[in-house]
Amino acid sequence: MTEAAPALEDLFRHEAGKICAWLVRLLGPGRLELIEDAVQDAFSAALAQWRFEGTPQRPAAWLAIAARNKALDRLRREMRLESLDPSDEAAAWRLGFSNPEDTGKPDDTLALMFVACHPALGDEEQTMLTLQTVCGFNARQIARAFLSTPEAVTQRLVRAKRRLRDLKLTVEIPEGAELAGRLPGLLNAIYQLFTGGYTAAEGDQLMTEQRCAEALRLVRLLCEHPHASTGETHALAALICFHHARAAARTGATGDVVLLAEQDRARWDAGLLARGFGHLRRAMAAPELTALHLEAGIAAVHASAPSFAQTDWPALVHYYEALIELKPTPVVKLNAAIAQGYADGPGAGLAQLDELAGSTQLSRYAHYHAARGDLLLKLGRRAEAGAALRQALECPLNGAERDYLLRKLRACSTPARQAHS
Amino acid sequence: MPSFMLLLHRPLERGPMADPEAVARITRDYMDWADRTRAAGRLKAGSKLTDDAGRILRNAGGRVATTDGPFVESKEIVGGYFLISAGDYAEACRIAAECPHLKYGSYIEVRQVEEL
Repeated sequence: MTEAAPALEDLFRHEAGKICAWLVRLLGPGRLELIEDAVQDAFSAALAQWRFEGTPQRPAAWLAIAARNKALDRLRREMRLESLDPSDEAAAWRLGFSNPEDTGKPDDTLALMFVACHPALGDEEQTMLTLQTVCGFNARQIARAFLSTPEAVTQRLVRAKRRLRDLKLTVEIPEGAELAGRLPGLLNAIYQLFTGGYTAAEGDQLMTEQRCAEALRLVRLLCEHPHASTGETHALAALICFHHARAAARTGATGDVVLLAEQDRARWDAGLLARGFGHLRRAMAAPELTALHLEAGIAAVHASAPSFAQTDWPALVHYYEALIELKPTPVVKLNAAIAQGYADGPGAGLAQLDELAGSTQLSRYAHYHAARGDLLLKLGRRAEAGAALRQALECPLNGAERDYLLRKLRACSTPARQAHS
Repeated sequence: MPSFMLLLHRPLERGPMADPEAVARITRDYMDWADRTRAAGRLKAGSKLTDDAGRILRNAGGRVATTDGPFVESKEIVGGYFLISAGDYAEACRIAAECPHLKYGSYIEVRQVEEL
């Protein structure tokens, strides 16, 4: 409608999380629904008013004040409907004395993350709620990331918020043993945010990048907190830095996917890589060894290889073997087999992959079939390679990955001497 | 610029307000005043205090005696405070005179903060 719409949407998304964290501090997590609605009211008011009056000088402060006033309106309506509770009156007064300039405090964001990642919620709900409340994504955007509909996502989020309300939580960053118990849940939500963003199942480049950027922002907040910055937190930060550093090189000029083997390593973000190694050093200085340490180690091997051919494959095989001990998931085993294919030859890799053939999870996972196709092609077994690639094409894929597989499939039917892509 | 403390006194006995409209309206009035004062660069901090009467500590012959409220000495308690900056008492009083507390509470005590 208006030319400013994308810029406004960006502004709204960035401010939504901050305003929400601030209002949750004032009103408590039990009022998360009211707060989300108030923030939406404020954005609607901004859209209507700014179109005629222009964007105010300090749009972020305008939005914070508007959201707080809308929260009071909604609180008043609730009080009228459900009879006045002393805690409502106290909440109203906290709004009355609040300072809109207080939005954007890292501790408020962290406290909200601990609310959104409460163990009473399922893993997916935790990630969805983090995306909504902490990162400011709307139901439509979250639905795209979860291959769901906005209505279904809204339903799940409403239920999640009601469950949190019933728990009568307070807003605080846990300490000591409680923090240690809760931190893995938070790291898992950030990990999901990032891996979901790193290879979005359906093509949506912008959402992908925004999710990775949010994951990086949140994990860095944890790294700066004196008690949340454990070795595992730094390992996750390192992992995200290493992968995010390759973002630009992963996509070619026409939006096609560029595999690690073919990426122009000069396009990797050197600053992010350096930050990744900084986090990795701090992760390794901690006494514990977690799956995230190993995943960061694997990413570091790739990040430090001058070229794909010079990758230290035996080191990768070693890391993957250790990782399988801690995290024996089919996807980890798949990656271990691929590494082995490079370290010990395509035959060895293929044998490992075929051992995984029974996994139902992998049978719907494009990368499994694509990896088989690749190894079969290297072994010159073109007909089988073609069949594997066709199976890969039937799995959920983003547009760039689909293009890549189609190119690969064409190579299966061309004469052997050209089949090196 | 000097800082002034606005101590918002109110009657000790004050039942919870029955009317949600009134709560929202009064809160909104404080909010608007705080926003205006903040926008003018004069409001530094402010908080409501809880509705209970609090505690009083006294030195009773070398040991600390703690008394729960309410306190017989006073029918008024401090219900909240604002910290503002102003050039002098005259300006601080002009700012405080606009505060809706004069409509809803009992009185505002204006005190200059001693700068060290």
